[in-house]
Amino acid sequence: MPALLRRLSRTDTVSGWALVSPAAILIGIFGLLPVLMSLQLSFQQSDLLTDETPWVGFDNYKKLADDPVFLEAIKHTIIYTALFVPGTMLVGLFVAAALNRSVRFISVYRTAAYITMAVSTISQGIIFLWLTDRDYGLVNAALNTVGIPSQGFLASPSQALYVIVAMTIWGWTGFSVIVYLAALQGVPAELHEAAAIDGASAFTRFRTITVPLLGPANLFLIVWLTINALQLFDEVYVTTRGGPLRATTVIVYYLWDRAFVQFDAGYAAAMAYALFVVILVITAVQFRIARRHVHS
Amino acid sequence: MAEIEFRDVTRRYAGGVLALNGLNLTVADGEFLILVGPSGCGKSTALRLLAGLDKPTSGEIRIGGKVVNGLAPGERDIAMVFQNYALYPHMSVYRNLAYGLRQRKTPRAEVDRRVRETAELLEIAALLDRKPGQLSGGQRQRVAMGRALVREPQAFLLDEPLSNLDAKLRNQVRGDLKRLHRRLPVTSIYVTHDQVEAMTLGDRLCVMAGGEIQQIGTTDDIYNRPANTFVAAFMGSPPMNLIPAEVRSGVLHVGETVVTSVPTAQGPVTFGVRPEHLRVHSHYAQGMLPARVDFVEPLGSHVLVTALVDDARVIVQAPAGTHYDPGTRIGLEPSPERMYFFDRDTGDVRADRERISL
Amino acid sequence: MSIDVPTRPTAVEPAGAETTSRWRLPFSPWHLVLIPLTFILLVPLLWMLVTSLETEGEANRFPPVLFPESPRFSNYSEAWASAPFGHFFMNSALVTLVVLASNLIVCSLAGYAFARVRFLGRGALFVTLMATLMVPFQVTMIPVFLIVKWFGDNVWEGLGIDHIGALMLPNLATAFGIFFLRQFFMTVPVELEEAARVDGTSRIGVLFKIILPLSLPALSTLAALTVLTSWNDFLWPLIVITSQDQMTIPLGLSYFQGAHRVKWPLLMAANVMSLLPMLLVFIGAQRYFVQSVASTGLKG
Repeated sequence: MPALLRRLSRTDTVSGWALVSPAAILIGIFGLLPVLMSLQLSFQQSDLLTDETPWVGFDNYKKLADDPVFLEAIKHTIIYTALFVPGTMLVGLFVAAALNRSVRFISVYRTAAYITMAVSTISQGIIFLWLTDRDYGLVNAALNTVGIPSQGFLASPSQALYVIVAMTIWGWTGFSVIVYLAALQGVPAELHEAAAIDGASAFTRFRTITVPLLGPANLFLIVWLTINALQLFDEVYVTTRGGPLRATTVIVYYLWDRAFVQFDAGYAAAMAYALFVVILVITAVQFRIARRHVHS
Repeated sequence: MAEIEFRDVTRRYAGGVLALNGLNLTVADGEFLILVGPSGCGKSTALRLLAGLDKPTSGEIRIGGKVVNGLAPGERDIAMVFQNYALYPHMSVYRNLAYGLRQRKTPRAEVDRRVRETAELLEIAALLDRKPGQLSGGQRQRVAMGRALVREPQAFLLDEPLSNLDAKLRNQVRGDLKRLHRRLPVTSIYVTHDQVEAMTLGDRLCVMAGGEIQQIGTTDDIYNRPANTFVAAFMGSPPMNLIPAEVRSGVLHVGETVVTSVPTAQGPVTFGVRPEHLRVHSHYAQGMLPARVDFVEPLGSHVLVTALVDDARVIVQAPAGTHYDPGTRIGLEPSPERMYFFDRDTGDVRADRERISL
Repeated sequence: MSIDVPTRPTAVEPAGAETTSRWRLPFSPWHLVLIPLTFILLVPLLWMLVTSLETEGEANRFPPVLFPESPRFSNYSEAWASAPFGHFFMNSALVTLVVLASNLIVCSLAGYAFARVRFLGRGALFVTLMATLMVPFQVTMIPVFLIVKWFGDNVWEGLGIDHIGALMLPNLATAFGIFFLRQFFMTVPVELEEAARVDGTSRIGVLFKIILPLSLPALSTLAALTVLTSWNDFLWPLIVITSQDQMTIPLGLSYFQGAHRVKWPLLMAANVMSLLPMLLVFIGAQRYFVQSVASTGLKG
């Protein structure tokens, strides 16, 4: 018997590895190896083209701390994240609450809400560039009708970042709505009925029963949206290229610029690693806080 | 005054499904009424309409004399115990119990007093700080009841509150409920599909099927004076035997056999007799139903014999120790006062059986 | 029995809509909220559509023209002619298709192995692969650039810089896909597999004949997600591709934007054309997209 088992487990091991190997090789080459290479790169100076990559130790990291553009990028990224994450959650919750009923055509309304998920970041950028155009944009036209003068929006250093916040909230609404709608529908109807019989109004029921039960959805969105916010790139590239006057330069944009425009790959790798650590820390902190507050 | 009245209440769903068809029902103040019937009979629908969780297509519902059709559930001063308890999972037992009172702006001291009193009454005082997820099924059931009790409403609505409990717990809680109602005789409507629960718990039973009332009465009424074949077969376990038969010139014929003379009118009938009202004889004699044994089920205190009368399956209750091999021919003697005759087409009991004494 | 006169004409609402509404509208009042809300959400897309049908003169007017005088469909043909959109579509389609097929196959094999096959080192390998999920793209993109360059120089040109092969290569398998399918495969009852093995089916046979047919919902969901991510990917193509004929749609659109910056109607027409495929796919397979988000979200 033991010999038979041994034979079985050997063939299992063989077949197991056979099945896993394509994935393991691919992810190994394109997922794991780069992590190590990046670490090595961050200690070197490289321009991606030549083979000369002298070792510079921690110089790249030290440069980061003194780089005013990097520090500004951090500031912009933080402001962006702090506005984008709660904004998307609130809009998503509001829309999902409206969509959580069974009237006629509800599936049409829901599709319309989800659809922003399918719009590529480039398309978003182009549309919003046009919408917020200083001279011919729809938004300025609307503002003018209520007496507000035309704004520079994406062309204005003080406003551009906030326009990008609004634009990306729009783009992520579909995602947020899907998560919240699923969570809302997960609240058993009986709980609402019991609360109604107990005398709670619709709004009170929402506040005291529904919202507290959204804990898991909230946690997921906070984590996921934050991770994505810290990696903002596409929308900045398409609309402002980090401007005007670096007003919308966020970390990843600066990273990309340094790596593939300035060909300073070692420095960029160091920046990427710094960002990586930040993301890990923030995610861990969020989970910690959640465990203490979220009901499960 | 917490009398409950359904006046011609109908509930039709989109697509034509008729869940309730002109329900007329009055529940007296302080009465414990049971709505019993198979699934789809309309009993839960009636309860939900009363609670305000659903709107009738037509008809009026009154609580305490007041029409409540336009009132929200929270405005009807009723409390409900749900089948799955519907406890607020993120709140402690205390807050679950207090929720309804807090919504009515009851002062905090009063809330505390009532919550603790009710918790004492239901023996869940030690659980006040726990969350529903940390409780057993039986404990959750009691919290659900507590939530209803603490409100001191005009009426209690209970939707199969015991069906999620295991058998032993169910018996125990049934007794608790009966005692509770004796102490606090609040008008209660209790929905169940379990006829044993129905017969033991209620002051009155309302048997329903197909969205209509089949019969209302006490357990005695329902059991001994069923209004139609549905009630006769639904209540009682094992159910009443229903055998197609014919009355010719005052004599009951089952198949080819002449059974006995009966004081009821001419024509085809459905002959009903309960398992415990048939006596088994090892040899057929005049006046009995001839039957062939199919199988025998010993139950300790008695034995159930399933036999075939012509093609009709008949169950008979026999004394413990009775045994027959399958295929044995036996005779079944019905008690004369316990024979029921139902119209073959409508299933309604025949009025002229009044003449049979009980 | 007589039918009472109903006390109030009530609309038949599906069960669960506990309302004491006194509305006499023939439709639910919620439509009055949902319609404006939907409109606001869709305004950017609608405005894009309107502009794509205007002339340049109409577009460059302020306050803006809300309805073009006569819809100028020629914007579309002009946009198509101004840049190799045909190439863009082909490239996007090809890359997406290859990535999709590869992911479905490779992740199914691996997911099944992790779910059902007890092999030495399974646990450690799984954790290692999943760890890559935590690493943001920016960390790996520079080295992957170098790796892909190496492939292009040493294996086959089509896999290297400035070729669509380079867009496919790093995405042929994702740790997420493995994780997702593994979770699902674990829910398939083991008894089905055991019955098949007793009947003599090989491991691979079990995967293809039993597990995969039962996993169509999960596969469709993963497919939806993969298609969306691959089609709309921008950063990686931006890094790797510079020649127009190798560009995918997002990159091509960005290039188009650069060339025709203020020709808004033309740009919007190009935008509509670029958006349309994904929008249609989304609407058609909506169920799976929703599933993909909901299942990741609620599993935390």
